[in-house]
Amino acid sequence: MTVGDPGTTLMSLRGIRKSFGSSEVLHGIDLDITTGSHTVIFGPSGSGKSTVLRTMNLLEEPNEGLVNFLGVEYGPGIDGKREKRGKAIDLRRQVGMVFQQFNLFPHLTAIDNIALSVHSVTGKSKSESRERAAEELKKVGLLKWALNFPGQLSGGQQQRVAIARALSLDPKLMLFDEPTSALDPELVGEVLSVMRQLAESGMTMVVVTHEMNFAKEIGDQCIFMEEGNIVARGGEDFFDTCDNERARQFIGSVL
Amino acid sequence: MDDRPQINFMWHLIWEYRDVLLNGLLTAFSVSITALALSLVVGLIFALFKMSRFMVLRGISTLYVNIFRGIPALVSVIWVYFGWSLLFGQNFTVYQAGVIALTLLYSSFFSEIFRSALLAIHKGQKEAGLALGMSRWRIFRSVTMPQALKIAIPNIGSMFIGMIKDTSTFTVIGLAEVVQVTQNLNSVYFQPFVLYTAAAGLYVAVAFLVDFIFRHIEGGFTYPRKGVINRFLTHRKRAHVEKLIEINS
Repeated sequence: MTVGDPGTTLMSLRGIRKSFGSSEVLHGIDLDITTGSHTVIFGPSGSGKSTVLRTMNLLEEPNEGLVNFLGVEYGPGIDGKREKRGKAIDLRRQVGMVFQQFNLFPHLTAIDNIALSVHSVTGKSKSESRERAAEELKKVGLLKWALNFPGQLSGGQQQRVAIARALSLDPKLMLFDEPTSALDPELVGEVLSVMRQLAESGMTMVVVTHEMNFAKEIGDQCIFMEEGNIVARGGEDFFDTCDNERARQFIGSVL
Repeated sequence: MDDRPQINFMWHLIWEYRDVLLNGLLTAFSVSITALALSLVVGLIFALFKMSRFMVLRGISTLYVNIFRGIPALVSVIWVYFGWSLLFGQNFTVYQAGVIALTLLYSSFFSEIFRSALLAIHKGQKEAGLALGMSRWRIFRSVTMPQALKIAIPNIGSMFIGMIKDTSTFTVIGLAEVVQVTQNLNSVYFQPFVLYTAAAGLYVAVAFLVDFIFRHIEGGFTYPRKGVINRFLTHRKRAHVEKLIEINS
């Protein structure tokens, strides 16, 4: 088995600590992401789940700890030892991210939102990039909306464009930061169904979510966080077998 | 009985000297638009300095902005035209002195306009660019700056009108702009009311023109684009996308 095959470790976090000012929000997180797996992270707000996710593409630079992705180490390392590290931009080019607030570029059409990053990251010509963007839009069922600006799309459509934008760069790992939290309830379904398809296609995914039913459905690694720690973790039967009282309580209150 | 002196308004002077007056306006416009181009560039550089993580650059920007925002146009142009040649023995033409004086003044205003516009862009925009693996320069050029320009453009338009008006003070160094030519005509005909009314009319006409032009530029930054010219500029790309939609569906 070579690195990157299904079942091998794609990314691992070791001893991740992160402080904002004087308050530490992550107290040493260890986490392994297996190729092809679907990790769901949940927990009360302020528990640090988004920060963990944002560490995975170094949008948050940890104060301590390391991120290993396909054998290359990123971040400051353990005990602050700064050895030779990979560059954040190289990591980000292999990891896609979808945000709660979509973060589409409002001055570009749906297709240009996608084509811009394809053009600037892969160096493809503008017209080739547009062709690639059209393919991705088709996959999320929004091709005929290609010339619409984000402001002319519903929240659900915007989030699907954002997913297509991330996928257009052929990421090896997709991060979702509460992708449906900013949506009207009736628009949640269309985004979840795109994510479900993606999961079925074998994409490695890490999802921070409050959609417990969805988490239960796709999660094969379940992580419950509280106050900057992973307090419970388990496999796909986590929701039935978890014996951590606090996690049970949380799941019970949101399901 | 009306005891005001009988005045004979020679309105025909305006028509007779239309070439002279319009040439004055052209000079004012030309100085201003050159200075506009320069001060947009200089202003943007100082805005980026001010937002830099290096304290020295931030300090330089603060100093520059506060000095030149504080100097009136009249003082600035006298200093550039007379002061510079006195200190360094190098003479500028009146045209050059006008452009430099306006650039110094207005770049400091543009610096603040750009800074506030850039700060108004939600940080999620930059994060999205970073998460996609775009370089910082590319994010600035293709994501942040176009959105900031949209916010800045109405202010830039107002400032440009201000620049054209400020050229009126350059009459002190003898720049043949609107007020200068008006004064010259007045010294011959002694028709201040008529001639200065004409001058005022020219400035107001330019204000309307600039407003019209900037409105059109603004249309290029609204989503979707407004105006025939802006539509035309994007029509090839639209045609390509429409073809892609047709092929794929």
